[in-house]
Amino acid sequence: MSFFNPVFAFAFIPFVVIIYNLFPKKLRAGVLLAISLLFFAFVSKWLIIYLLLSIISVYVTGISISKLEEKKKEALKTVEKEEKKSVKASYKRKEKFVLVLCIIFNVTFLFFFKYLNFFAVNANLLMDYFKIGHRITIVKHVAPIGISFYTLEALSYVLDIYYGKIEADKNILRVALYLAFFPQVLEGPIARYSDTAKSLYEGNKVTFESFNYGYQRILYGFAKKLIIADRLNIIVKSVFEDFNSYNGFTVFIGVAAYMIMLYMEFSGTIDIVIGIGEMFGVKVPENFRQPFFAKNVSDFWTRWHISLGLWFKDYIFYPVSLSKSMKNLTGKAKKKLGNHYGPLVSGSVALLAVWLLNGLWHGAGWHYIFFGLYHFFMILMGNIFDPSVAKVCEKLHIDRHKKGYRIFQSVKMTFWVFIGELFFRAPSLTVAFAMLRRMFDTFSFRVGELFTLGMDRKDYVVLMIGLVGIFIMGIVHEKGINVREEISKKKLVTRWAILYAFILVILIFGAYGQGYVPVDPIYADF
Amino acid sequence: MKKAIKGIIFALIFCIMVEAISVALLPWEKVKKYGLYNTSAYEIVAEKDDSVDVIFLGDSLVYSSISPMEIWDGYGYTCYDCAQPAQIMPYAYDYLKVAIDSQHPKIVFIEANILFRDPQKLPLYKKIAYRIVNYIPIFKYHSNWKKYFTHDKNSWLNVNKGYIYITGIKASKKDPFNYMDVNDEVEVSILPENKECFDDMVSMCEENNIKLVLLAVPSQKSWSRSKYNMVKELANEKDIEFIDFNLDNDLEIDWATETKDKGNHLNYWGAKKVSDFLGEYMESTGLLEDHKNDPYYKSWHTAYSIYKEKLK
Repeated sequence: MSFFNPVFAFAFIPFVVIIYNLFPKKLRAGVLLAISLLFFAFVSKWLIIYLLLSIISVYVTGISISKLEEKKKEALKTVEKEEKKSVKASYKRKEKFVLVLCIIFNVTFLFFFKYLNFFAVNANLLMDYFKIGHRITIVKHVAPIGISFYTLEALSYVLDIYYGKIEADKNILRVALYLAFFPQVLEGPIARYSDTAKSLYEGNKVTFESFNYGYQRILYGFAKKLIIADRLNIIVKSVFEDFNSYNGFTVFIGVAAYMIMLYMEFSGTIDIVIGIGEMFGVKVPENFRQPFFAKNVSDFWTRWHISLGLWFKDYIFYPVSLSKSMKNLTGKAKKKLGNHYGPLVSGSVALLAVWLLNGLWHGAGWHYIFFGLYHFFMILMGNIFDPSVAKVCEKLHIDRHKKGYRIFQSVKMTFWVFIGELFFRAPSLTVAFAMLRRMFDTFSFRVGELFTLGMDRKDYVVLMIGLVGIFIMGIVHEKGINVREEISKKKLVTRWAILYAFILVILIFGAYGQGYVPVDPIYADF
Repeated sequence: MKKAIKGIIFALIFCIMVEAISVALLPWEKVKKYGLYNTSAYEIVAEKDDSVDVIFLGDSLVYSSISPMEIWDGYGYTCYDCAQPAQIMPYAYDYLKVAIDSQHPKIVFIEANILFRDPQKLPLYKKIAYRIVNYIPIFKYHSNWKKYFTHDKNSWLNVNKGYIYITGIKASKKDPFNYMDVNDEVEVSILPENKECFDDMVSMCEENNIKLVLLAVPSQKSWSRSKYNMVKELANEKDIEFIDFNLDNDLEIDWATETKDKGNHLNYWGAKKVSDFLGEYMESTGLLEDHKNDPYYKSWHTAYSIYKEKLK
């Protein structure tokens, strides 16, 4: 079910709120869990079993690690000082064994549903190439919705326990609610246990104020999706389905439209998730922070899908770059390459691991892997050339902190990110390269062609106004101003007028109904 | 308590605003004459009075298979798809009743698949939603805001005249020659209430001097031999014509490229074939006039040029 389905927004959410509030505080967490599991079962039917297995596996693992930790403490009390190290190492091994088992268990499901066929297809191609007369049967299967999101959340829970960041939870219901909370389970954000579990389980009453406050955020998400993303979908579909019919400028606009559409759709969904969280008094972490204001590709990824970036940073980048072998490598590289480029070597190995996995996380396909490697390359280039760029700017007396230079950086970054997203959206690498070629080979400013993509002038005007509105909101957020809090300080009449205007603008100018094709929830497929 | 009252006042003001905007999104003259509900529920009401020659009633098979603009282009006849998704016979009856209030069609086609749909099976919530949406037309007609920015008096009209333009292709893998027999595995019947409704429609057409024709558009999923036989029998009983495209008339539909959903509905290219055939049929009846040179039908030329633009 899409969050943008009116039934979800105007019937399901109010229904859940009423049911939840009817119960006493003690039982509300149970009610929320029951609703979340029913919601998941409604969307993924019997595949809910995989979510339940994940919940049980991380719960048991957490408890096991915790018990081993207790036993270790007991054992340390009784052993001599010189033995302590070996006792610690022995328990660490056991904890690691339990942890690895849990990771394998969860990743196996993910691999089975998302990657098995991809590997099977490529293995078959290899076997054909080497003339091995064996083939792996390709079996089509539907994955449980949100498996990529809840699996990462599940792993973060056990990893945080293993690293000693959090205590294992003895209450399985709390762990279950953390992983299955209905708005979050489909498209994230990939919250940490310490972010949401406690507040979710508190059973805070949904008050008039929290409902109102949360709903405003939901409406903002609706505006992004219905006014902008669903309009851009017309351009995106036309260009990507038949790019050979358009000149390079139009193809570029199609690619740019896809990137903006992706942002509006995904961040709009996250607005809804955060808004629902706010209703229940849960602070779901932000997943976007004005990504198009970033100064380079690396900065972009600290502002776009933040929770995924942080996950890879904490559980892939640091463990790899801080591993013994990498530390040795850094030491050797420092001697030869100096203090800037030396650490870059091991950092780059970790970065490569992160971006390979990031590409694969988005989907099983070579173009997704290329998408990951492309970003690895762009970030690596930034890391390598940043000192040289700084020197050049200094020599040319260009202040890198001035507005003009920052705008130049953002425009440059946006262009590179657009190209990356072209590989992300195109059905294959071949098509992506063909589109790229067409973009440059046939580039000419034939603006009139934009009106042959299925959108009339009035739609373009609404689109532009919408984009300008979101851009202004971005500047305001970047300055740290909370618009909703500012509105709440106004008089009742002004508050209501703003709210009415906002809802009516969505209802009237939303690109829904006949003539429009809504964007499918893109990230729910990952 | 204070908050509850505030909430109610907020909701009330909101409802009033939505309703006011809903009315503003429909042609005011028509709302005054036919009421908000009828103007919203039945798009044909927005057409100029007494300007539509032919009406097609039915479900999605109609609005995906018959393009009135193609018939206009070929013959100058004005047709309208008075179709609704999963239309049931009582709704078709209501539609016809409202349509002949403002129009004097010469021919009415009923896509006979709706005779087999159980009106009781339409869930209550869908019936309620159908009513609500038509009382709050903003959901359906919100894009009409664009019409305030054009000088064309006829801009309120539906350019496609009820047809929904689809170019998507999802090829059918069914055998194009025996699907009517294969579909026979499902038992079908014309329910008495549908028959009764149909009888009322026949009478209504007779009273208004309208030629009624039963129709079966190409569909590899919706039509079967038993349905065909039953409709044929009904047509004979009432002495009305039955035009069938699944057994009687072969339009040479290419089921690999002319269907949008594996054989159930046609896409634009399939619809063009059906529309061309029907235009020719209408001409053969001698009941209709070519309106292309009649200034009363000027808006149809405008509609056609927009339609043609979209085809590009």
